[in-house]
Amino acid sequence: MADNNAPAAPNPAPQPAAAAPKLDMDALLKEATNNQVWKSMFRNWPWQDNARHRARHIVDNLWLHLHPTKVRPRALETTFTWGLGGLSFLLYLLLTVTGVLLMFYYRPTVELAYQDMKDLEFAVSFGIFLRNAHRWGAHGMVTIVILHMIRVFLTGSYKKPREFNWGVGVILLTLTLFLSFTGYLLPWDQLAIWAVTVGTNMAAATPLLGNEGPFANLLGMTISNDVRFVLLGGTTVGANTLLRFYVMHCVLVPLVTGALIMLHFWRVRKDTFSAAPREPNEEKLDVWPHLVVREYIAAAICIAFIFFVSVYFNAPLEEVANPNVTPNPSKAPWYFLGLQELLVYFDPWIAGVLLPGLIIKGLCAIPYLDTNPKGVGEYNWKDRPFANAVFMFGIAMWFILIAIGVYCRGPNYFWYWPWESWLIHKPAPPATWSFPIWAGLVSLAAYGGLGMALPRVLKGDIDWKKANWGFAVFALALGAFMGFKGIETWRIIVVDILLWLTFVFGFLYPQRHLKELDFTRYSVTQSLNLMMMGVLLKMGVRLGLDVKYILELPQFNLNI
Amino acid sequence: MAEPIKRKDFLWLGWGAVAAFCGAATAATARFMVPNVLYEPSQKFNAGPAKEFPIGVSLLWFKKQRVWIVRTEKGIYSLWARCTHLGCTPNWFLDQNRFKCPCHGSNYTPDGDVVAGPAPKPLYRCKVEVAASGDLVIDKAALENRPGVREKAPYFVEV
Repeated sequence: MADNNAPAAPNPAPQPAAAAPKLDMDALLKEATNNQVWKSMFRNWPWQDNARHRARHIVDNLWLHLHPTKVRPRALETTFTWGLGGLSFLLYLLLTVTGVLLMFYYRPTVELAYQDMKDLEFAVSFGIFLRNAHRWGAHGMVTIVILHMIRVFLTGSYKKPREFNWGVGVILLTLTLFLSFTGYLLPWDQLAIWAVTVGTNMAAATPLLGNEGPFANLLGMTISNDVRFVLLGGTTVGANTLLRFYVMHCVLVPLVTGALIMLHFWRVRKDTFSAAPREPNEEKLDVWPHLVVREYIAAAICIAFIFFVSVYFNAPLEEVANPNVTPNPSKAPWYFLGLQELLVYFDPWIAGVLLPGLIIKGLCAIPYLDTNPKGVGEYNWKDRPFANAVFMFGIAMWFILIAIGVYCRGPNYFWYWPWESWLIHKPAPPATWSFPIWAGLVSLAAYGGLGMALPRVLKGDIDWKKANWGFAVFALALGAFMGFKGIETWRIIVVDILLWLTFVFGFLYPQRHLKELDFTRYSVTQSLNLMMMGVLLKMGVRLGLDVKYILELPQFNLNI
Repeated sequence: MAEPIKRKDFLWLGWGAVAAFCGAATAATARFMVPNVLYEPSQKFNAGPAKEFPIGVSLLWFKKQRVWIVRTEKGIYSLWARCTHLGCTPNWFLDQNRFKCPCHGSNYTPDGDVVAGPAPKPLYRCKVEVAASGDLVIDKAALENRPGVREKAPYFVEV
């Protein structure tokens, strides 16, 4: 502050000298607030600590009025919500503030973008801190939005009447990932250009609309008129792409996300908090101060954590983008590595378009498929065995795929254990093979047909223990047969474990819990379930038996 | 005097006009997003004297033009170094006689055929010709990967 030369202003700091006038803060506060200007801004002044004023504190305040005035005691428990929804919103705000500040120094052109990143790191005061906070905040937001979804699922908070808002939440998760994806290109380093090259090439694999997708020739798609061309604004990731992603990242997607956040909050209020009463006729608690204080403490801890990390850890910045040379290995940001791992086993139109689309649609469909009225507003495993088991299995699978991508993939995207050096020269992978067309059609039809029919047709409860013993005998026989054929032990174990998981989650669980469902709900639930288990099985036959395709129809770009 | 328009018909007409306007605006916006002029570099380049390439896979233009130039006993073909899976640039491993992609682990032979990994199609070969000066001219905009076709002109040139 350069006000040393300013005319002597009254210094508000308390003076040690006895001669100084005593500072009466209470009187000052009264002076400052007991006038028309203050009272025009804050209604119901002076503030009194009674029930009426605690309620008015919420309803008369633009910032706080998205809360109800009272909530159930359970909603205040940290271990019920974990504050995850509020923290998602906090990180959205933090990312907006840091993002707007970064925009002052960043120019989205091929010649300048990387140079501006370097300037932000080395020449701009606090530039590197803001960049770090933006990057780590983004990682945090992705993590917390995913955890929020898991929490809402486990407390049954998506059930009637909150089905629609769950769908809004799923779209917000998708938009969060899309924001991260568009932001990834902006530093214009090697990581950026190659993650986006891979990501946008998946768009080229869209059936009908992408030039490399199934049935691309029906609509006459070429490299210069398909969806990827529109996304990139050209045929390769270049100047147009950088500008397009900049506009989407900084303006378009944040606006859409903000609008949907408002809708999301508004519906939370209209549908009411899900937290179940702890006891009948319990009294609700005032949101001011109980909930507001908790929210602000959570926000303070979260900001402190992001700032701490941003001081000590720098966001990575690789070499400047080179459209001719790919880093080896080339990995997407961690939250996309599950998808990248799927791309190892499936053609891009399946792993990059069909499966993500089905995951999003399947998540949106959950509230309409789950007719079980129990377990709303509480963690209840006993009454919801099927829903919780299948959902958590899907989540675990997603994070295991991510862990494989992060820790087990080395040069040439070959499998390296975390403790292995990447300098070890691995032998070339064995050649892959595909089923003949008839065998592919038969296996797909058998898997789909039996998988859909058996759990529905077999009446009565199958004894869990007997079924698993039966499977163990089958697995041993299969293992012995494969061993006899000269297949290594680890491959046999991989195939057996994945078959067992498919047996349990694709057959035993649905047979026990889905029988009562009406036909439409059963069909949708079980086909989504079979699709999830099918992904595992395909991974199993690739890792275990080097199968490339179950069904191969190259003339239509259609390989499964 | 003509019959006055019915309320129901008027509503159909009004909402129909609104829907038509929204549809046209969406279509126009979509068309706006498709650029008509691109400022991308030319895909055709002069790779220098054709006779000077040694037998085997040459990395001479790999980093600048993203192609490998392969010379066999008979002549030259040029592989576009773009993985047919998702567009990363594979690397050449002389000891294993393979191209390997760093993004999802696809492997190719020097002919461009897939031997491992997820890539669905063989690598593309570029159009090649020998100019009057004896220089090899490579055009990455004309591509071919079908066995039987890719081995012939203009994707192969005798040198």
